[in-house]
Amino acid sequence: MIRALGQPLGDAAGANSLDLVCAPASLRTGALLDEALSERVRARLEGLAATLPDLFGTLDPTCLDRIAERLGGEPGDATFGEILLLSDKSLHVIQPLPGQPGVALVAECPATSSIGLVLSAIRARVVELEAV
Amino acid sequence: MSVERESSRVLPSIPASPGLIASVLRLLAFIDDLPSGATGMLKFGESGLILLESRKICWAVARSMRLRLTDILRNQSTPPLPREAVEEIYRRCKIDGKPIGEALVMSGLVTEAGLRVALFKHNGEAIAHLAGSGMVPEAFVSHTRTGYDPKFSFSPCEVLAMLGSLDDPARALAAQIELGHTLVPDSFGAAFVRCDAAAGALVIAVDRACDLPVGDLVEVCNWTASLFDVAHTFDPEAALARATWGGHLALVTWRSKDVAYVSLCASRAAAARLVSRLETTAKSSGVIAAAARYGGPA
Repeated sequence: MIRALGQPLGDAAGANSLDLVCAPASLRTGALLDEALSERVRARLEGLAATLPDLFGTLDPTCLDRIAERLGGEPGDATFGEILLLSDKSLHVIQPLPGQPGVALVAECPATSSIGLVLSAIRARVVELEAV
Repeated sequence: MSVERESSRVLPSIPASPGLIASVLRLLAFIDDLPSGATGMLKFGESGLILLESRKICWAVARSMRLRLTDILRNQSTPPLPREAVEEIYRRCKIDGKPIGEALVMSGLVTEAGLRVALFKHNGEAIAHLAGSGMVPEAFVSHTRTGYDPKFSFSPCEVLAMLGSLDDPARALAAQIELGHTLVPDSFGAAFVRCDAAAGALVIAVDRACDLPVGDLVEVCNWTASLFDVAHTFDPEAALARATWGGHLALVTWRSKDVAYVSLCASRAAAARLVSRLETTAKSSGVIAAAARYGGPA
């Protein structure tokens, strides 16, 4: 299943227009976990995956807890979930897998893609992966 | 008729030292660590004091500071307020034991906004002097007497931002305006720049709803700065990001030139509204072109 996730999302209806690629990666090491990725897909995701150790676990969880309290939220879930990064060129998404601690799905597509469709596609892939 | 010039005049007697922001952070963190309802006096021996009401700063004074509140009030108006009129009110207040600021507002010589600006500067300067002296608070004497108008009290975050703004007041004012125009209900935020002297993020503006402990605010700003740093390695143009946590909370961050903004949203809906507003800004300024496309479901 992880191998399947490493492929461009070209199978689903309309996904071709997204030109979306995604693959699982380690939050701890930043390594892509799908060794069968094509060079093209790897090149698009490697940089994003490599940043994971710097993005996750570097913010004091008690700090997020205190902020959650100020915002009226419940303390306890003090790690970031979905992270989106936008530029003129690309949309990058990091989606930690709730059922696989330490693993996140990293995804990239051109900035011209519909973000709503991209998020839907990524979440569908996460559900598929978690179901296995 | 008084004309206030917010943030347009620096405080001339704030001690200039590279470690000032770090010292101020330590002092403000001490206030943050007090219980949320803390009301009373933070004593620094003979050097000065800070009066708090519900952990907000109402009044601060340091023996080493040169400016008095009345000087600030007089000089922030154009033309300056007549000295005689101000001193007459000062004398009366001293006899009656009433706060001079409110009396000046009552007299019509100063507007509420003008008084707030003057108090902000006065208290900020006092805290800078107390922090710069290296003194630690000797004691906190709590009392139950309240009565300071909340309009004229300041969170530690606000004081931190005010001192951070001194390096470039025009930039800080622009950032304050950006926050005011962009933030939505159920969100609060701050603007910051990188600063070697502060060894990380230097907060230069906050909106009034921002009452985070200063340590947490700086930590979030530093994380946001590193987010853009690492994003630069694979997409140098990344200018907008959103991170979710705790089910429905979200952090939205964007940058414009050398200023970065961070907003903390109490709901996904607030985050969506904020990004939508950024979209409007992007259309008019072109700064965050990527934001114009952002509108997908949270």
